[in-house]
Amino acid sequence: MRATIRSGRYHAIALCAAASLCCGEFGAARAEDASSWRDIETKYIFGFTTGSGIGLEGEKEFTIDTIGRFGKRDGRYRATETKYEVEFTPTQFIQIEFGALGSTHHIAGVTDLDDRKQFALSGAFAEFRYLAIERTSSNPLAVTLAFEPTVRRIDETGGERVRNYEFETIINADLELLRNRLFAGFNLLYEPEVTWGTSGAVEREAKFGGSAALSLRVASNVVLGGEVWYLRHYDAANLTAFTGDAVMLGPTLYLQFTPKMFMTAAWNAQVWGREIGNPVSLNLAEFQRHRARLKFAWEF
Amino acid sequence: MIMRKLTLAAVGGIATLAVALLAVSPSQAQQATEIQLSYSKGQFQPSELRASADKPITLRVKNLDGKAMEFESKSLRVEKVVAANSEGVINVRALKPGRYEFYDDFNEKARGALVVQ
Repeated sequence: MRATIRSGRYHAIALCAAASLCCGEFGAARAEDASSWRDIETKYIFGFTTGSGIGLEGEKEFTIDTIGRFGKRDGRYRATETKYEVEFTPTQFIQIEFGALGSTHHIAGVTDLDDRKQFALSGAFAEFRYLAIERTSSNPLAVTLAFEPTVRRIDETGGERVRNYEFETIINADLELLRNRLFAGFNLLYEPEVTWGTSGAVEREAKFGGSAALSLRVASNVVLGGEVWYLRHYDAANLTAFTGDAVMLGPTLYLQFTPKMFMTAAWNAQVWGREIGNPVSLNLAEFQRHRARLKFAWEF
Repeated sequence: MIMRKLTLAAVGGIATLAVALLAVSPSQAQQATEIQLSYSKGQFQPSELRASADKPITLRVKNLDGKAMEFESKSLRVEKVVAANSEGVINVRALKPGRYEFYDDFNEKARGALVVQ
């Protein structure tokens, strides 16, 4: 077990190092061209960390955003949740998103979870984003406040039928360190939720945490980077019953195919974690060993 | 109890957004500075515009070419398709001093900037 954990950690560090090397290579080769690059939308360049961008007034976008979660302490665990999402920006300060959720679960032999192999239309969500501090040529910092109510009929972790209400609130901040080239991103997350199971049992929980990310634009349409997340889990919405925490680390990639089409990809491995009352490495009860994100977007 | 708290939080958030939306509107209602520019032979003319800070701006973009162009700017946070031989009107919020670049999204080479002082 310890060898697997160590291997996962080295894998993440190696990928980050490779991404950094790529950044350096491309960066040097393209340095003279960077001044002619157009401004970039920062919302998607940090992987799981979300940048402050809210799009352009009048812009509409359709995205397919899949997050996969892989690996529990035992057995086989693979789960994904996909957002089929429409975004639009009605003013120069506000962005609104909404859509449906689809999920898949492939679970076998995992303690505390039923074996399952299923695909389901699992819920719906909406997101409201407000740009509180805007970046200008003299101010490199931009901050957006966002909240995202979500309703699910399928449990995100176990895949069973439930009634779940989640209310994610998040601060997305980013800093332009080098004009149009190097960006740092920061998120602060609070995500309370309540779940009614089929037996009638009510479960309240919350996630709290933050992230830091660094992304370098290595070509006008390619951004490479890395991010680290620290997440805490509570068995209460008011953050009183702490049950464990975890650190996730991994590389990120943003690719713009055309001015109206792009993708973002990220992979995080859990490199440290703890479960309260269970002296084991990593927290695989509330978090997963790995997570990956793949998002495609079309503007129109 | 928890549902009531979540509902209250949702209502609070929506109210905050509504206030934010209303807060944005008055600045647009202020007397805007009107700036005209044209787009001809795949270039903006003039390619550098000047405006005063803290006043909303109305950009009138005349497309004199025979095909559509898309006026776009990440820093101004606006985009507008302007059909061939027609005019597009773009309302921009009151801006802080700085340089705001814009371009034609359909033409890599067509670029310009709005300098706010």
